[in-house]
Amino acid sequence: MEYSNLQRQAASLKKSLFDQGYLDEQFCQIEYLQDEASPNFTEEVVSLFFENSTRLMTNIEQAMEKNPRDFSRWDVNMQQLKGSCSSIGASRMKNECTSFRNICGDENAEGCMRSFQNLKREHGVLRQKLESYFQVLRQAGPAVTAARPRGM
Amino acid sequence: MQHSKRQPSTKKRKIRVHHHHLKSSIFMASRNQGSAPRALVVEDIKVDRLILMHMLHKLNCEAIAVENGKEAVDLFLEGKTFDIVFSDKDMPIMSGPEAVAKIRAMGATEVKIVGVSADFGGKEAFMQAGADVFVPKPVKLETLQSMLEVVISKKNMSG
Repeated sequence: MEYSNLQRQAASLKKSLFDQGYLDEQFCQIEYLQDEASPNFTEEVVSLFFENSTRLMTNIEQAMEKNPRDFSRWDVNMQQLKGSCSSIGASRMKNECTSFRNICGDENAEGCMRSFQNLKREHGVLRQKLESYFQVLRQAGPAVTAARPRGM
Repeated sequence: MQHSKRQPSTKKRKIRVHHHHLKSSIFMASRNQGSAPRALVVEDIKVDRLILMHMLHKLNCEAIAVENGKEAVDLFLEGKTFDIVFSDKDMPIMSGPEAVAKIRAMGATEVKIVGVSADFGGKEAFMQAGADVFVPKPVKLETLQSMLEVVISKKNMSG
C-alpha cells in the first residue's frame, strides 16, 4: 500500500539523519511535543530554526568581512547559532559551531573562514534533507512517531 | 500525536508510557489544588521560546512569554505573580541575570527562577543574581517536569 510505503520511506529518511549524525535526541523531543492540537509543530520549529540560522549566518559572514579579526564579535554570533542548533538537535551543525568557537579562541582567522564554509555546507545539506523528510511526511500523513529510530 | 500501526518497539513504548506519566503526574498534582503552575518564559530567540512554551503547555502549565529581561521586570512591576520563571541569559535591552537581580530586589523572593543558557559560563552570573537553579540548553521535558513538581508541591504545602 502506497501509504505505508511512504511511512517507511519517512522512517528511513529519519533514521539516516540520525545514523549520519545530522540529528540527535533533541529532535525527538521536538517531535514528541507534536500532537493533534499542533500537528505541524515539528515542521514549524524547523522552519523557524532555518529562518533564524540563515539570519545568524548572514550576520557572521558580514562580521567576518567588515570586522576582520574581531574574534569576540564572531564568537558572540556563533554562540547564538550554536544555541539554536542544540535546541532542535542539529548535531553536526552544533559540532561545527563548537569547532569554529575553538578556532576563534585561538585567533586563527583562516581557520575560522574554513570552519564557516563547513558550517554553510552542513546548513545547506541539513535543510535539504529535512525538506525531503517533511515532504514525504506530508504525503504519508500522520504516523511516524517521536521515537529515536530503531538501531540507534 | 498519532502513531504507526506497526508493532511499536520497546523504545517507542517507553516514550508512550513516559509521556503518560509526565502529563498525569503534573496534571493530578495541579488539579488537587485547582490551579496550574504559572510560568514566565523570558527568551529572545523565537524557536527556543516556542519550544519551551510548548513543553510547558504539554505539562499543563499556564505560561506566558516575553522577549527580554526588561519586559519580565515590567510584569513584576505591574504586580503580576508567577510560580516559576525561565530566563535566557543573553538578550537585547536587558539580560537574564540583570532581570533576575531586579526581580529579587523588588522583594519577589518566593518565585523559583531558573537560568537557562547554552553558555555554561552563564551559571555563575545567574546564581550571583539570585536564580535558584541553572539549566543548560537544550532544556529537556523531564527536567521541566521535575522542576514543576517541586513548584506544585510547594504550592500545595502553602495552601
